[in-house]
Amino acid sequence: MEYILKNGIVYDPANEVNGEKKDVYFKDGKIVEDVSSAAKVIDVTDKIVMPAGVDTHAHIAGPKLVLGRLYRPEDSRRGVTQKTKVERGESGFSIPSCPTTGYRYSRMGYGTVCEAAMPPLEAKHTHEEIGIIPNIDVNPLTLFGNNWIVMELAKEGDIDGLAAFISAWLKITKGYGVKIVNPCGSEAWGWGMNVHGYNDSAPYFDVSSKEVVRALAKANEKLGLPHSIHIHPNDLGHPGNTPTTLETLDSLKDIVKSTKKSASVRDQTVHCCHMHFHSYSGTNWRNAGSGAPEVAKFMNHCKYATGDVGQVTFDETTTMTADAPMEYDLYRLSGLKWVNADIECETAAGIIPCIYSKKAPVSALQWGIGMELFLLIDNPWQINLTTDHPNAGPFTRYPRIISWLMSAPKRNQMIESHEIHKWAEKRTMVASIDREYDFYDIATITRAANAKIHGFHDRGNLSVGSNADIAVYDINPNDFDPSKNPDAVERAFSRAKYTIKDGQIMVKDGEIVSTKPSHVIWSNVKGMEEQEKDIIDKVMPFFKQYYSVKWENYKVHDHFLSNPIRVDVE
Amino acid sequence: MKTITFDVKKRNQIALEFDEIIPDTIYTWEAEDFDKYAVPVGNSRFPLTDFFDITVEGTADSPADVKMVFNGDCGRVKYIGNKMSAGEIIVNGDADLHAGAEMSGGKMTVMGNVEAHAGREMSGGELEIYGNTKEFTGASYIGEWRGMTGGKITVHGNVGKQCGECLTGGHIHVLGDCDILAGIHMTKGVIEIDGNVNRWPGGQMKNGNIIIHGKLGRLLEGFVEEDIVTDPQIDGEIYKGRYISFKGDIALNGKGHLYLDAEKNRDKLSAWKETDDEYISLGENRKYR
Repeated sequence: MEYILKNGIVYDPANEVNGEKKDVYFKDGKIVEDVSSAAKVIDVTDKIVMPAGVDTHAHIAGPKLVLGRLYRPEDSRRGVTQKTKVERGESGFSIPSCPTTGYRYSRMGYGTVCEAAMPPLEAKHTHEEIGIIPNIDVNPLTLFGNNWIVMELAKEGDIDGLAAFISAWLKITKGYGVKIVNPCGSEAWGWGMNVHGYNDSAPYFDVSSKEVVRALAKANEKLGLPHSIHIHPNDLGHPGNTPTTLETLDSLKDIVKSTKKSASVRDQTVHCCHMHFHSYSGTNWRNAGSGAPEVAKFMNHCKYATGDVGQVTFDETTTMTADAPMEYDLYRLSGLKWVNADIECETAAGIIPCIYSKKAPVSALQWGIGMELFLLIDNPWQINLTTDHPNAGPFTRYPRIISWLMSAPKRNQMIESHEIHKWAEKRTMVASIDREYDFYDIATITRAANAKIHGFHDRGNLSVGSNADIAVYDINPNDFDPSKNPDAVERAFSRAKYTIKDGQIMVKDGEIVSTKPSHVIWSNVKGMEEQEKDIIDKVMPFFKQYYSVKWENYKVHDHFLSNPIRVDVE
Repeated sequence: MKTITFDVKKRNQIALEFDEIIPDTIYTWEAEDFDKYAVPVGNSRFPLTDFFDITVEGTADSPADVKMVFNGDCGRVKYIGNKMSAGEIIVNGDADLHAGAEMSGGKMTVMGNVEAHAGREMSGGELEIYGNTKEFTGASYIGEWRGMTGGKITVHGNVGKQCGECLTGGHIHVLGDCDILAGIHMTKGVIEIDGNVNRWPGGQMKNGNIIIHGKLGRLLEGFVEEDIVTDPQIDGEIYKGRYISFKGDIALNGKGHLYLDAEKNRDKLSAWKETDDEYISLGENRKYR
């Protein structure tokens, strides 16, 4: 089937197209240079055309979501809709059901989402959930930061062994890249402890998070995976954690980026997720302040690191992370119901509801820090828009964040009218920053940069040959001032005029018109078979001794995967 | 005043959901509007007139002028009076789950029995039930930690488990007996029980008051004996009689109060001396005061 998107105003930062009026052609799910006269014309005159969105970091599938849904039935009753001819019924706000997740992303014009934490032991279930999420492609990142075998190999300094281990475990779990969560900290939690700072050692293993992170970064570049290491540094959410964050990023400056073709799309060697949680100054919550200017200064001088913000959106949400000790600290602060889980030999996890209130000083400060990161980091290619769904807010709030970024008067009005607590004014410099994003920048931080960071060459852009993942929004940028109409921006980005995924129209006028099964994207490293066999033989006695599952049941078999897209790494 | 009468034609096996038919939405409706309306039943909708004969009398300018009367067995009609803010509902029969849930005003009366979750998360208004109710009367939604915040629930019969769970305001009066864990997790408000109580009222309560006029089966360990009080004044109301007052739940450093009828619950005192008609508590626990 051939289509022409006619007369749209195109923003395609990957090809440096900034608001040009032109037609986009696509055929059989790919963008093409031209189509025949039989092509169906979709008139999008004076509407914004962008590549479909790519989410860098979200938690949308996996056992922790199931635990969260079981644990927060009161969240499931929010946002309930009846089924229609196309859609199944929706439910949930911060932890929506699997089909709801797909529909809501589609409505916002998103096409690809990264599931940011998949423990190897729970990979099967994660893939089963991805199979039920419609309309979006998902690339799950496998957790490595607290894996016992990784820690042993990092301690020995065996980078070759570690590379073989990553390669083998990405095949076993069908993962896309390396995720590190609170390196050594989640393991220390098994002993009732946490690590404090970057050079602290895990108990028993006697290896510091610095050694683990550096070893994984080296192994990642040795393999030349499409994505760099994706790190959630130590001390998340603790006042005064800025030095830890900077130390973590700084320690990776000598890592040489792989020259392999598979790693050629990205520029970075480290991606730091939900940076706002890692940019606090002070020593406790009474004197906490913003470390965002420091972090932004570092990022502006640093070419090898990228980040996403994890912006707080003032909602009642659910936090869920593999950083279990942090969840316990959060429980000590809020006293709400909480749950922890231990994933044997691999990681830990925790869940707790969290209420970010506009009137709460800490929430206001967090909001300000997130905004500062967006506004003070000069290069939009280095910073992505996320809410760390659902930790700082649900992904359905992305349009609202876009409206804040595009409108300085809106931000100032929120601060000056005391709609949000005065800490946002007194302890951050948001009110004094006039910078406003334009549509080109928005397209960068929600699509182009995200795809580049994840090493996707076939999405996040409108180049010929790329997937026909396209979003159309009902705004005419030529006679519209987003600075003065932030609400209109939010409305338009919440309900895409069209969302096209792989050449199929998913959303029309903000309503789902069709659904398709999701794809799962995973990395397959070739040419390491010998080394993988060696490392599995080496690990096997340990596995038999400590794991409660059999090796035969550990692997994710092909029938668990929903429409896999294999990314081959030579 | 507008009176809308629903005469039950047949009892459906699958429950009907009535959350859209409350005074706030239907005060402008005429008979033909009801004829057109389809009520949610399971995963589909059916005409309301399949299940009820509906008569409309009079007119209404606001929800407060509406009186809805259900005649017959509504034991498979859920969400009657859900989220209503004004007006009156009378059910001459039983009602199903979530009767009067989240109501913020008005008055609802049920002459028969009610299933679980009656008056869930109420914030105002009055709910009177002449029969029995099941679990979670005046409680929070499952998993929710913010329960009923205002209004009054009166149950003339017995109530089931976890009555007034997470109560953060309002008044629950049970004239019959009460099952286990009344007022669990409560932080404010009053629960008054005239009948006997099975076990463990006030588990993990942080504040608020529970008054039990009947006999209590078993008390939780987290309650410490404070004193014997006569005619205590609680939230501006005087409760006649002599009560043993307990403080709890100390497991959570709670400051709630539990009042037990002194006569019927002598066994709850750690030591007991009777002089004429004067009761004096000599409890060991008094040192915790």
